[in-house]
Amino acid sequence: MFDTTMIMAILPEILMLILGLLVLVFDLIWKKRDGRDLGWLTAGGLLFILIVTAAIARPAESTLVFGGMIRYDMMSYVFKLLFIFGSMMTSFFMMDIEQLGKRGEAYILLLVATIGMSLMASSADLIMLYLAIETTSIPMYVLAGFMRDDEKSTEAGFKYLLFGAMSSTIMLYGFSLIFGFTGTTALTAITDFTLPLAVGIIFLMMVGIAFKISLAPLHFWAPDVYEGAPTPITGYLSTASKAAGFAVLLRLFLGLFPETSPYAPTWTMIMAVLATITMTLGNAVALSQTNIKRMLAYSSIAHAGYALVGVVSLSELGVGSVTFYLIAYVMTNLAAFGVIAAFSRVAGSDEISDYAGMSRRNPTLALVALVAFLSLTGMPPFGGFVAKVFVFAAAVKADMIWLAVIGVLNSIIGVYYYLTVLKVIYLHRMEGENEEAHPIPITRPYAIALTVLSFAILAIGIVFGPWFNIASSVAEGLF
Amino acid sequence: MTVFIILALVAIITALGMLISRNAVYSALFLVLNFATVAVFYLLLGAPFIAITQVTVYAGAIMVLFLFVIMLLGTDELEDTDNLTWQRPLAIGLAVVLVVEGIYLMLSQNTLGFITTPSEDLGSPQAIGDMLFSKYLLPFEATSILLLVAMVGAIVLTVKNKKGEQS
Amino acid sequence: MDSALIWEMVIKSLVLILALLTGFAYLTYYERRGLARIQSRVGPNRAGPAGLLQPIADAVKLIFKEEFTPGQAYKVIFILAPIITVIPAILITATVPWGGTVTIGGREVMLGIADINIGVLYIMSVASIAVYGVVLAGWASNNKYAMMGGLRSTAQMISYELALGLSFVGVILLANSMRMTEIVEAQRGLWFAFLQPVGAVVFFFATLAELNRGPFDMPEAEQELSAGYNVEYSGMKFALFFMAEYTKMVSISAIIATLFWGGYRGPFIDTMPGLGPLYMFIKIFFILFMMIWVRASWPRIRYDRLMDLGWKILLPLSLSLVFINATGILLNQMWLIPLLSIGAGFLAIQAINLSLRRKENAR
Repeated sequence: MFDTTMIMAILPEILMLILGLLVLVFDLIWKKRDGRDLGWLTAGGLLFILIVTAAIARPAESTLVFGGMIRYDMMSYVFKLLFIFGSMMTSFFMMDIEQLGKRGEAYILLLVATIGMSLMASSADLIMLYLAIETTSIPMYVLAGFMRDDEKSTEAGFKYLLFGAMSSTIMLYGFSLIFGFTGTTALTAITDFTLPLAVGIIFLMMVGIAFKISLAPLHFWAPDVYEGAPTPITGYLSTASKAAGFAVLLRLFLGLFPETSPYAPTWTMIMAVLATITMTLGNAVALSQTNIKRMLAYSSIAHAGYALVGVVSLSELGVGSVTFYLIAYVMTNLAAFGVIAAFSRVAGSDEISDYAGMSRRNPTLALVALVAFLSLTGMPPFGGFVAKVFVFAAAVKADMIWLAVIGVLNSIIGVYYYLTVLKVIYLHRMEGENEEAHPIPITRPYAIALTVLSFAILAIGIVFGPWFNIASSVAEGLF
Repeated sequence: MTVFIILALVAIITALGMLISRNAVYSALFLVLNFATVAVFYLLLGAPFIAITQVTVYAGAIMVLFLFVIMLLGTDELEDTDNLTWQRPLAIGLAVVLVVEGIYLMLSQNTLGFITTPSEDLGSPQAIGDMLFSKYLLPFEATSILLLVAMVGAIVLTVKNKKGEQS
Repeated sequence: MDSALIWEMVIKSLVLILALLTGFAYLTYYERRGLARIQSRVGPNRAGPAGLLQPIADAVKLIFKEEFTPGQAYKVIFILAPIITVIPAILITATVPWGGTVTIGGREVMLGIADINIGVLYIMSVASIAVYGVVLAGWASNNKYAMMGGLRSTAQMISYELALGLSFVGVILLANSMRMTEIVEAQRGLWFAFLQPVGAVVFFFATLAELNRGPFDMPEAEQELSAGYNVEYSGMKFALFFMAEYTKMVSISAIIATLFWGGYRGPFIDTMPGLGPLYMFIKIFFILFMMIWVRASWPRIRYDRLMDLGWKILLPLSLSLVFINATGILLNQMWLIPLLSIGAGFLAIQAINLSLRRKENAR
């Protein structure tokens, strides 16, 4: 009954579970540990898992395993690698945060959330999908509210829990209706769109996914949660968690509406409108933010809109571009939140105005901030630029020129607020203080992670060929 | 059929009772009754295993914990706070729409033939065991991870810091 | 369903309920006499020969006592709570077989009410809803001692239900069925108490906790809670709580006998199936004596230790017993099961010992 394909399909999950249990046991029995030891264990273990998975778990062809529960294809492979990478970077960022980095539970929750995301990206069955989403969400709720003594963090955790529980309940209604009407739990069980409730069911399912990727009408939770949650967790929430939501969305939409489907135009139009609203709203509100985490929250809503543009085109290029976009976005946003975490750890503030003079307080950190924010803006030669080009190209190719135009206009709004931050960092001075007297020391974990991320952003932007090949192979596997 | 109608009425009344009751403990007890009625529905449908599981898990475990929490917090009497001003009429309106929609669908379709009947032995313990450990093995294992991490999370958020740890 | 079957069911149920209620009444007498003997006293000996009419005298007294309902109590629940407590105590015996099939007047009659394929789960389910009566009584009394007693009992029952359920799993594995008659028939060769001795002990402890009986009678700790959840009750309502507790003792003894001590099986049972109820009676009699003996011998344990025992000792132990059973069955080496489980039992005892010592040192 078991064969190597089955093991390979869940190899990263198995390894992460073993790592999580190791952390759990070490947390308990290893009394004399140094503060960071568990963090290094997690990060090192994730690096090992990343290498092992990349080396041996590459699927040859798309297969359904575990009785149709999960699909083992390039998409799950690439997304899993992305999640593991993101989780590794997050564990680097977590190590030096007070109350977070020294507690083994935080790493366990992070690892289990990553397991959940990996299952989300590969699930091909509604039951599996629901469990995967919950396995992702529940640790994230706890992580968002991890700092119990901090009111904002508690609020963030609670808000995230309420919104998340509500939206996943609504999604579950959709799932139950699908099972009721079709008698199966396959992800793409609805094939007959003449069913009276099919449209409603798809909307119900969309609620859960839209919550995950903070799509326009369901984005309210994002700013508060992003602001209150511990910064590394915010970074993880805005990148890996969102990418996982997109993986589900891609699988669902391509399964429901193949290119030939007569219903595809209607739904792509709905999605296009949602993408427009999401982009515009995210960018417009981001303009007036004074807290950098809130600003990045709205910016990440806008980025969800950009990525959705790629989904709308429902083509091979579209899927490839979304994957590429997500890879670039994960690297960039992780770097941005890494900078914020490193800064606020020392400065104790997330207000944009407090970033004044950062270029003198720590030039290297300011340089990383420059790279990350320019990449978010979509400037060449960074990853964000290439990603945006591909996404808009996909929209143009799918005869949605208006959507591409709106996307470009939105990017221009984005330039304004991203550059404002850079202006404060580079041009403003701390009032009446000598900046050199207030350096921002960077600890080793931050140094490692930020270096890796900066080079990754540059690598994606300059040598984008191989990355795009990976992204296209994901698309090929789906079509 | 008579049994079904009586039970259906009981189920609806208990559900309403749960919503209307101003006392949290009474609400919880109405919910227990509701679960019990649903369990009897399962029995009528020939799925005793599911019925018993329903009673054990919902009535026997989850609701007991609910009661436990309600009693420990001592918030059994709800004050008459009416801060849901416009939501209530809206909710009633939407509920009416749903009911009308459901009735219309049932009358217009005339037959609910598109609902597929599950196989006979769906609810037997053997069938469930077989399904759980063959087709649904992976979800089963995922559930175990989920429960473990939920427990870890609950403990993280509630247990008081020990003296040895800082802050 | 023909009418004869319905009549058969009704008669069987009535007989069973009457037997349980009589059993309850005389169990109180049995316990008092037993406790007295252990403590070198005489016990009730005035009403009737050797005090045999004592239960009847008690009943008469309780019925004619004044019913008192506190003014601040939640009336409906206050009245319902004793009833809710009694019902599961009687219901739980529905799936217990009292004997094989006998022929009475040309009709095949199964001694036992329902022989369903999920008999064990049914017991588990009824046991799990038995908490309500106690917790509601505590709450409805609107008295903080009663409430604390009710909450304690809830916590205790929930905690020990886990060990209880896992011990059920062990039996289900050994019998390869959840049908109670098949579990009894599976003990044709060897009673499960000998095949899985530690399982039987764990089950016995867990049921003691479920019953709120000493040494686990925390919900009724007089020193701390005056009398626990039933402090505000008097008269017949109080009698109902008493009745529920003792009826439950009888029912659970019947379940223990069925699951671990061969049920209605005994010598010559295959030729004379009518002997079944007699064997059941003898086994229940002995198990009840064990319970009384435990109550007489052991002091009540402290609340935190009670929880420690439930969660840190009994739960892992019963889980490991499930593994041991599964291993033995999978390898088809039945002799492994008692051996390994006794080993696990010793480890558990060692763990209790260690934890007790550590606490002494800390003081």
